[in-house]
Amino acid sequence: MNHSEADITLVEKYFDAELNDAELKNFTMRMESDENFKSLVEQEKVLIAAIRYEGAVSSLKYLEDLESKLQKETPLSLSSGSRKLYYYAAAAVVGITIAAAVFMNTLKDNPEELFQAYFTPYPNMFEAATRSNESVESKRTDAFRAYERGDYQEAASLFKDLLKDNNEAGMLLLLGNSNLILGNIKEAKENFIALNKDFDELDMQAKWYLSLCYLKSGETEKARAILKELGDTEISYATKARELLEKVN
Amino acid sequence: MNQDEIIQKIKSGGQTELGLVYEEYREEFLRWLVKEFNCSLDDGKDIYQLTILIFHDNIRLGKLEHLVSSVKTYLFGIGKNIVKENLRKEKRFIPISKEKWLKENLIDEPTNKIDDAVFERAKNALSKLGQPCQRLIELFYYEKKSIPEITLAMNYKNPETAKNQKCKCMARLRKLFDEETEQNTFAINHESL
Repeated sequence: MNHSEADITLVEKYFDAELNDAELKNFTMRMESDENFKSLVEQEKVLIAAIRYEGAVSSLKYLEDLESKLQKETPLSLSSGSRKLYYYAAAAVVGITIAAAVFMNTLKDNPEELFQAYFTPYPNMFEAATRSNESVESKRTDAFRAYERGDYQEAASLFKDLLKDNNEAGMLLLLGNSNLILGNIKEAKENFIALNKDFDELDMQAKWYLSLCYLKSGETEKARAILKELGDTEISYATKARELLEKVN
Repeated sequence: MNQDEIIQKIKSGGQTELGLVYEEYREEFLRWLVKEFNCSLDDGKDIYQLTILIFHDNIRLGKLEHLVSSVKTYLFGIGKNIVKENLRKEKRFIPISKEKWLKENLIDEPTNKIDDAVFERAKNALSKLGQPCQRLIELFYYEKKSIPEITLAMNYKNPETAKNQKCKCMARLRKLFDEETEQNTFAINHESL
């Protein structure tokens, strides 16, 4: 299909994020009223998607080649059992024990390092981030998908929006995690406190992550109080909490 | 090198920088993944490669500029989510088709999946484009390099020349795509006769 040069320029500038306000207004209007123009935009989107895809495939091939090379140079074997390995392992344990003792002493004075050692983002256990054609569900799907892809900025913004209409414990936990990762410690604390206060579920998770927030912001006394509480229970976080409490002390 | 420096290095670099990150966390990631999810080493490698590509994608698209956690934590978080998604779909761990996974997770929008046949035609058109056009538009649209960066990387006289060349390459790609579409339409009509 033939398209005018002006239309092609407009579409190129749209995808290159170079439109000014007037051009953007024109673009939006054309998209609503001109099927021919809309088809040009759709075609450009597919072409750019193909370029991005081929770029990703090329990077994947590069990593696969690198992996083959690494496997030849330094084979990674996860099986155990040989006698030789046993002696290596025994020697390693001695080395690790010495290193760990030095490391623990460092950690006792450094909440930031403790945070780094113990923080892992909570996985999305709440919703399948599958595609949906229902527009109502799309923002929700986008939010979980962004979280799974590590786009925590986008996830935090969408979760925050969604929580205004629908207060769900799982979403609040993931919003708190996103904020914690992004360094929005104050917001993360508020999320975990609200999760603990407003819901009957996920309260142990909320407390665990709240303790990490306090650790991150250097409020070790508050972190200790929560870790002690968790350590006194028999839940899955108890062992980790007791271990961390020992180091914060 | 701190976390933000690693991000900056990947953003301004290319595949070599990505390879350095791959090597840095490879052993620890694979040991953790295989132990935690009881998957094979080969499956672990596939997941690690996809994890690194997501990390790269988020940096290139400006979705990840600062990390409050370590790169390792971030990578482990992504890896865990890929495995969980895989387990949720199949109830048991199954090998991932990486190229299909890339399209579904890095290219398709959640509510607007690109038709496979149309996408195939776009890929065919791209494969016929030739160099230096392929490299130029890949630098611009995939690696998200700026026109001045492309000018330097591809030895163009000045940014205007690079920009003009990019527009010409895209015009050529559109033409090739139209030809692919025409051939496809012709083949369909021919088959229905």
